[in-house]
Amino acid sequence: MSGEADLGAWGVYVHVPFCPRRCTYCDFAVVVGKRPSDELAYVDALVREWQSRILPQGEPHAVYLGGGTPSKLSAPMVERILGAICQRTGGLGTEVTLEVNPETVDQERLQAFRQAGVTRLSIGAQALQDHHLRAMHRGHRAQDIGRTVDWAKSAGFASISLDAIYGWPGQRFDEWQATIQGLIRLEPDHLSLYQLQIEPHTALYRKVRSGEMLPVESDLVADMSDWAGDELSRFGYDRYEISSYAHPGHEGRMNRLYWTMNPYVGIGMAAHSFDGTRRWWNVPHFGEYIERTALRQDPRADGEALQRLDLMREYSWLGLRTVEGFSRDRFQRRFGEDALTVFRPVWEQLQRQGLVQWDAERIRLSARGLDLANQVMAALIDAEAHKSPETDHV
Amino acid sequence: MDPEHIRNFSIIAHIDHGKSTLADRILERTGTVAERDMAPQLLDSMELERERGITIKAQAVRLTWTYEGEDYELNLIDTPGHVDFTYEVSRALAACEGALLVIDAAQGVEAQTLANLYLAMEHDLTVIPVINKIDLPNAEVERVREELIEVGIDGTEALAVSAKKGIGIDEVLAAVVSKVPPPRGPRGSPLRALIFDSRFDSYKGVLVFIRVVDGSVAVGDRIRFMSTAKEFEVSEVGVFRPGLTPIGQLQAGEVGYVAAAIKTVEDTRVGDTITQANHPASEALPGYRPAQPMVFSGLYPVDSSDYGRLREALEKLKLNDAALVFEPETSAALGFGFRAGFLGLLHLEVVQERLEREYDLTLITTAPNVVYEVMLVGGRVVHVDNPAMMPVAGDIQSILEPVVESSIITPSEYIGAVMELAQERRGEYVGLTYLDPKRAMLSYRLPLGEIMFDFFDQLKSRTHGYASFDYQPSGMSAADLVKMDILLNGEPVDALSTIVHRDRAYAKGKALAAKLKDLIPRQMFEVPIQAAIGSKVIARETVRALRKDVLAKCYGGDITRKRKLLEKQKEGKRRMKSVGSVDIPQEAFMAILRVEDA
Repeated sequence: MSGEADLGAWGVYVHVPFCPRRCTYCDFAVVVGKRPSDELAYVDALVREWQSRILPQGEPHAVYLGGGTPSKLSAPMVERILGAICQRTGGLGTEVTLEVNPETVDQERLQAFRQAGVTRLSIGAQALQDHHLRAMHRGHRAQDIGRTVDWAKSAGFASISLDAIYGWPGQRFDEWQATIQGLIRLEPDHLSLYQLQIEPHTALYRKVRSGEMLPVESDLVADMSDWAGDELSRFGYDRYEISSYAHPGHEGRMNRLYWTMNPYVGIGMAAHSFDGTRRWWNVPHFGEYIERTALRQDPRADGEALQRLDLMREYSWLGLRTVEGFSRDRFQRRFGEDALTVFRPVWEQLQRQGLVQWDAERIRLSARGLDLANQVMAALIDAEAHKSPETDHV
Repeated sequence: MDPEHIRNFSIIAHIDHGKSTLADRILERTGTVAERDMAPQLLDSMELERERGITIKAQAVRLTWTYEGEDYELNLIDTPGHVDFTYEVSRALAACEGALLVIDAAQGVEAQTLANLYLAMEHDLTVIPVINKIDLPNAEVERVREELIEVGIDGTEALAVSAKKGIGIDEVLAAVVSKVPPPRGPRGSPLRALIFDSRFDSYKGVLVFIRVVDGSVAVGDRIRFMSTAKEFEVSEVGVFRPGLTPIGQLQAGEVGYVAAAIKTVEDTRVGDTITQANHPASEALPGYRPAQPMVFSGLYPVDSSDYGRLREALEKLKLNDAALVFEPETSAALGFGFRAGFLGLLHLEVVQERLEREYDLTLITTAPNVVYEVMLVGGRVVHVDNPAMMPVAGDIQSILEPVVESSIITPSEYIGAVMELAQERRGEYVGLTYLDPKRAMLSYRLPLGEIMFDFFDQLKSRTHGYASFDYQPSGMSAADLVKMDILLNGEPVDALSTIVHRDRAYAKGKALAAKLKDLIPRQMFEVPIQAAIGSKVIARETVRALRKDVLAKCYGGDITRKRKLLEKQKEGKRRMKSVGSVDIPQEAFMAILRVEDA
């Protein structure tokens, strides 16, 4: 695949919190049961926030409408958001992604989203067994997924991605195989496979804790992950990131901006932003977000300023999310130092453990390191910088 | 005060039979403490004591009570309520002439009731039985009276009270005055005062709790501790009302405290005798013995840089806890730490909790063990208080282990279950007596090392909570014991070595390896767990290598959340001890305690 984006490339993330229902595993910032008038008010708020934001230079590299369920919005609302973005930047870049829940769309709506400027769909398939979809509290059924992909293709989207979850309580290995094989048959350009994480404060968590649902044994989860990777590779999908697979040229651009520590402008309730040194995030309450933007108040909830050392640490562990790792030259251009030299003792220890490898150009995870990425990242989050004159000033 | 108007008494009871509540009521009724100032269970002053409902330190309070027109001085000496502190109880009882024996009206006579009763009888105390909690719907006062008769006291005279509701408290006080004899003893003879407890006070130094048996002690006196021959000048003499109240002197028959700028409680040993330095008594009071730790355990800081803080904390605790002993120890697995000796398991737990809570230390506590007496080939005898230090099998001629005399009181339908448990724990049957048609007392000689392994929990669970248990040390006894080592990743971990009976070694080894497999999280590589006796591996398990450890989706650029998850994961790892290259959680070092024989 192509190398990392330019240092100055930036993205726009738009958070759309509306959902027809809450999935049992979800602990994201979402709202259910809102009326179309609430959606209108929210889009107004988004546009107002966007207009008040300081933007990096030029066109964004990628735009991403995530949620929640952005496909719950009407096409004119999506058009209004994208129009507002375009108005200030002069363009939308080469990738405009909309997250889609099959429950919320039909052929007409997908065509309208395409017309509005969306180029890429990320469709939450999750599983191809209706009993699992029901247990997840998803509103669609297995057969809806194929139909949605067909409509998307006929509407002319440049790239289609499918999401699936493995390690779901009660999920059998053969069911997971059937899901992957079924999704491959739909010929998407991109797949994201997520290992289920049981988050506190979710319905799923309570069911597992009460014993009503049994978590899948960790070896089986690992088998599912390994098998899916092999199968996808057989069909020409490259694993380019820990949980993402794509046909060449279809890697998700927005996600890659996160791993290369490029700036992004996040708008909407609970949206996160990063300007190159500072991160901040908006209030996570729907009403409060609308109210603050209406009163032209700052919707930020909190934030953090990253020191130089923090930035170098994050750059390192985020950069390792991608299979090809990160470029030492790009790190050098960004921080004026060599990544390998700065954290040499940590890199050497990780190399001895067989988790990372490097050459003159790049530092990357080994195959084992991809399996145990957390161990590597945990070693880097508080890595001490090798003493050098530059590390003292920010 | 004229000794004829002094009464020294204590309250003894099985745990939870209401000893502290009765003490509270007596304090209130005698006006020693106004009701509004009462913290529940005032005498249990340490936070831990109150939480656990167990008195750990003895306390003494002077009360004033008018009976038939005359004023009496009553000294109430509270006693520790746990088998670990039996010796301390015996010293507190030696300071009294009488005891209130409190029995729960619903529970009846229990193992500690009897143990306490026998202790009181050994000291020739007048025992006043008090049946408490008569307000409970399931109170059976008459049945309890019969049980008392069965164990040798006149149950018909037992007072029926409810300490909680304040019923019968005046009758209790009247009985103390009319039945407990006044103290006797020649007032003019050389001073002899019995130390029954002590407490460190940061302003006054150690406060020594005493019962003056002969003579008197006053401010300015030069006193001598007879067992250590150490001398101090008395700076304060006083009584507890319940706060410290200085008075000029204490005379024969009285109970109170002396302070003498004493820096550590080690100098003031419970059971020792105080006398005048310039006019000493020729003979100490009977019954003194130095504190004898029964249970040993290794204490190691998880973070090795906390070693200095751990030492300071132990030294501070030692100021107020003469029974705690410790010395530096080095473990190949755990680094620098201490081997500490305790009176029993409760004492160990209390010390461990105080170290973690009051001194903010994160500790690895190795599984407690008893002290073995090992006769070597060639006749030399060594004492082994750390399983890792057990000599090699070829050098050992025989091993002795400490045993206890235990009594277990149980409803008769569980006799079989209790006997089964005692046999599993290598108990030697001594006898069986019935307290009443429905309840029996079993006596067993048991190895102390066996009752440390969740014996009490097992006893409770096999008798649905009805059995009670008490024991006292009863010397040493030979047994066919072997050292079992645990190897992780091929390396022996000295802190996991234990001493087990040869007949049970296989079962224990298997169960321990399985338990460790559950407790040790998967690592980046496979970790074999082996239990071995000498070079012979008797059990093997494997913690398989960690296969996947990844975080899913980075949601909407929320890097902060991702980083926090990684930090949390790292923090969990920090709380583990890295031995060789294996990360071992704290609980694993105590795993042997939770192992049931297969």
